Amino acid sequence: MDIGTIIQTIVVLGIVAVALVYVLRRVINTTRGKGDCGCGCGKDCKHKKSAGKNF
Amino acid sequence: MIKDKDKKDNITRLLDDEPVGMTVQVVRVMGDGAFRQRLLEMGFVRGAQVTVLKNAPLKDPVEYMILGSHISLRHSEAAQIEVTDKDAEFCDLEDAFNGIVETTVAAVDPMADNVLRVALIGNPNCGKTSLFNNVTGAKEKVGNYGGVTVDSKEGWFTIGGRKVQLVDLPGTYSLTEYSPEEMYVRTYIRDNHPDAILNIVDAGNLERNLYLTTQVMDMNIPLVVALNMWDELEKSGDKLDIEMMSRLLGARMVPVTAYNGHGVKEVLEATMEAIDESEQETRHHNVNYGTLIEDCLKELGAMCPELDRYTVLKIIENDQHAIQLLDGKENGEEVKKTAAEMRQRIERDFNDDIVSIVTDLKYGFVRGALAEALTPNPERATGETKPGYSLDRLLTNRWLALPMLLVLMWLMFEATFTLGAYPQEWIESGIGWIGEWIGKAMPEGILRDLIVDGIIGGVGGVLVFLPQILILFFFISLLEDSGYMARAAFIVDRIMHRVGLHGKSFIPYLIGFGCGVPAIMATRTLENRRDRLVTILTVPFMSCSARLPAYLLLVAAFFTANQGLILMSIYLIGILVAAITAIIMSKTFLKHDKTQFVMELPPYRKPTARNAVIHMWSKGKQYLQKMATVILAASIIVWALGYFPRHEGQTPQEQIENSYMGQMGKAIEPIVEPLGFNWQMGVSVLTGAAAKEIVVSTMGVLYTGEADADEESASLKEKLQTATKPNGEHVFNPIVAYSFMLFILLYFPCIAALAAIRREAGTKWMVFEIFYTTGVAWLISFIFYQIASAI
Repeated sequence: MDIGTIIQTIVVLGIVAVALVYVLRRVINTTRGKGDCGCGCGKDCKHKKSAGKNF
Repeated sequence: MIKDKDKKDNITRLLDDEPVGMTVQVVRVMGDGAFRQRLLEMGFVRGAQVTVLKNAPLKDPVEYMILGSHISLRHSEAAQIEVTDKDAEFCDLEDAFNGIVETTVAAVDPMADNVLRVALIGNPNCGKTSLFNNVTGAKEKVGNYGGVTVDSKEGWFTIGGRKVQLVDLPGTYSLTEYSPEEMYVRTYIRDNHPDAILNIVDAGNLERNLYLTTQVMDMNIPLVVALNMWDELEKSGDKLDIEMMSRLLGARMVPVTAYNGHGVKEVLEATMEAIDESEQETRHHNVNYGTLIEDCLKELGAMCPELDRYTVLKIIENDQHAIQLLDGKENGEEVKKTAAEMRQRIERDFNDDIVSIVTDLKYGFVRGALAEALTPNPERATGETKPGYSLDRLLTNRWLALPMLLVLMWLMFEATFTLGAYPQEWIESGIGWIGEWIGKAMPEGILRDLIVDGIIGGVGGVLVFLPQILILFFFISLLEDSGYMARAAFIVDRIMHRVGLHGKSFIPYLIGFGCGVPAIMATRTLENRRDRLVTILTVPFMSCSARLPAYLLLVAAFFTANQGLILMSIYLIGILVAAITAIIMSKTFLKHDKTQFVMELPPYRKPTARNAVIHMWSKGKQYLQKMATVILAASIIVWALGYFPRHEGQTPQEQIENSYMGQMGKAIEPIVEPLGFNWQMGVSVLTGAAAKEIVVSTMGVLYTGEADADEESASLKEKLQTATKPNGEHVFNPIVAYSFMLFILLYFPCIAALAAIRREAGTKWMVFEIFYTTGVAWLISFIFYQIASAI
C-alpha cells in the first residue's frame, strides 16, 4: 500500500468516524428530547430566537 | 342586572330541531362541564341570536352563525341548547352593561427581572402569530384555522432603544380551567407576570373576541388591545369609534393589520406607554358586574389581598384551580366558606348558575359597549353572513363538497409531480455532471469512492426532490391560509366521529402531513387523555413529507400513467389505516365516551404570496439543513458499511454483497422477501428508521456502488428500473414498488417522532407504537404483494 492510499484511507475513516459520532449523538439527543429534531420543530426549536426588528 | 322578562310566555325548543335558514334566540345551554362552558364562551349566552346555516354533506355536523362567527356543532351537541323565537321578548344582555370600575393595586417595577416582557393573547385564529412574526422577524407557522400554536414562542424586538421580549401564547376563547390551552395561558400569566398583555382581537368579530378581554382586564396587568384585521372591518362597512370603545372598556385600542404590518409600530408604542404608566399609576380598569357581585369581590378581595381580582372572581365561581391557591393559607378555609355563601347568594338572586351569570354579565358588558361604539353596516340584513363566506356555497355544498375535496387533493399531488419534474431534471443532471466531473478529476481511490458513491450518490438522490417538496408545501400553505382546511374538517367530521376520533384530532392529522413531531405536540389541545392517545398513536400513519422522496422516486420510475392518483392513493391508505386503528383502539383498550367538539369555521381569506413563499422556503430550508447534516452523515455510514471489508479480485456486485451492509441485508432478507423486497430494500427501510429520507439516500448509495462504470452517470431512477436479480429478473416492478411504498408509509415512525410519542404518552406507548406500526406495515405489504402477484 503506497503512502497516498494510506493517507486517503485515514482521511476516509476519520470522516466515517465523525459521521458515526454525529449520527449517534443526534439519535441519543433526540431520544432524550434534547437538541433540534431536524425537522425544525423539535424541543429546542423555539430557542432559535431571531434578533427581532427595531422599531 | 339581567332578568328574564317574559320567560313563561315563550315556548322553548331545541336548537337541533330548527330547520336550515331559521334564526332563533338562545335561552340556555343544558348540561355541565367543559362543553357547556365552551359553548357559553363562544357566545351561546341568553338572548344571543343563532342562525342555522347548513348541514354538512354527510348531514352532521351543522353550521350555525352566532355573533357573526360560523360555528360547527354536531346534532347531538345542538340538542343541548334550548332556544326560542328570535323576536321573543326574553332578555336583553345590554341591560347588564354597568361600565367599568377602577381598582388600585401596588405598582410593579417592569424591570424587576431585568426583562421587559409582553405576552400576546387572543382567540384562536385572530392573527397572534402573524403579528408575532411581523414584530420579531420570526417565521413561526401560521394558518387560517385555530390551534396552530400549542406552545409559547418567544421572540424579541427593540423599540425606543429598549429590548423587549414578546411571547406568543396559544389561542384561547377564555381563561377558565376546562382545556389545556386555557390553563397553559392562565398559568403562564400567573407564573411569569408579563409587564403588559397585548390582546389581539379580530376586529370583524369583536363581540366574541372581547369576551376574553374582559377576563384579562381583571388580571390587573397593563393591557393594550390590537384590533387586528382592521382592513376587513373597514371593507365590511361596519364603523367602530375606537376612542369611545377604548374609553368604555378602559383599555387602549389600536387598529392593526398584522399580515402587512399596518399599525404594528403604533400598537407597540401604546404597549410601552402602558408599561411606563403602570410605574406611576396603580389604577386598573375592570368590568363592573353590578352592586351585588362588586360588593362580594370587595369583601373577598379584602380577605386575600395578595390575589388579583380575576382570581377572586374565579374563587367565587368555584374554579378549582383558583381555590387550590388558598390551600395552606391561614384564613384559607374561611375564604372558601365565605365564597361558597356568596356564590349561593348570587345564584339565588339571579336565578341561574354562577358560570352562566358571570358569562352573561361579561357578554352583556361587551354588547353594551359595542352598542355605543359600533355601527354595523346598515345594508347588511340580520342573519346575513359577513363577507368571506360566499365560497362556502360551492365548497361545502351537500353534493359537491366531498368530490371537490378529492379533486383538490388530486390536483395538489398531480401538480407536485408534473410541475416538479422540470426542475428535478435540471438538479438531477447537475448532480450527475458534478459526480462525473469529480470522478474524472480525482485519482481512483477510496476518497473518490466516498465522494462520488457515498456523498453524491446518497445526498444527491434525496436532494433532487427539493422542487416537489417546495411545490407540495406551497399548495398546503394556500389551503391553510385560505381557510379551506377548517372546511375539510367540517366535511369529514362525521367520519371522524364514526371512527371514534375527536373532531380536534383533525388538526394534528393535518400537521402530520408535514412532520409527525409537531403533529404529536398538537394533540395537547385535546382535553381527554384517551382522545389524545388515540390521536398520538394514529398520527404516524399520516404520510409526512420525509417519506415523499421515496414515493416520488418509485412512482416516477415504475408508473407511467396517473402518477398523481397513485401518490394520492398512498396518502389515502395512510388515512384509512389510521381510521381503522382508531376504531379498534376506541372500541377496545382505549374505550371512552364520545367527546363533544365545537369548531369555528373562519372566513375565507385571500392567501398571500409572501406567506406561502415563507412557508415553502422554511420547509425547503429544513430539507436542505437535513441534507447537509443527518442525510450526509447517514450516507457516509451506509457507504462505509457497503464498502468494507475489501476483498481483492471481486466484482462490484460481489463486493457489496459481501460487505457489512450486504451481510446485514442478507440476514434480514427472509423477513422482507415475502413482501417482494430484496436485501437492498430491506437495508434501506432499516436505515430509514432514523429519518425517512435516508431510505432513498441508502438506495442511492447501494445502487451507485453496484453500478458499472458506464452507468455511473445514470440517475437513481434509471438504476432502479434496470436493477436485476441474479436470475436476470427485474428487482422492481409496479407491484414491488407499491408494496415498498406501503411499507415505507406505515412502518416505524422516525426516531424524532418516537421521542415525541415518549414525551407526550410515555415509554410504554412508544414501544407499542414501534411494534404496532411495523407489524401493520409488514402485514399490509404482505397481503398486497401476495394478492397482486397472484392476480
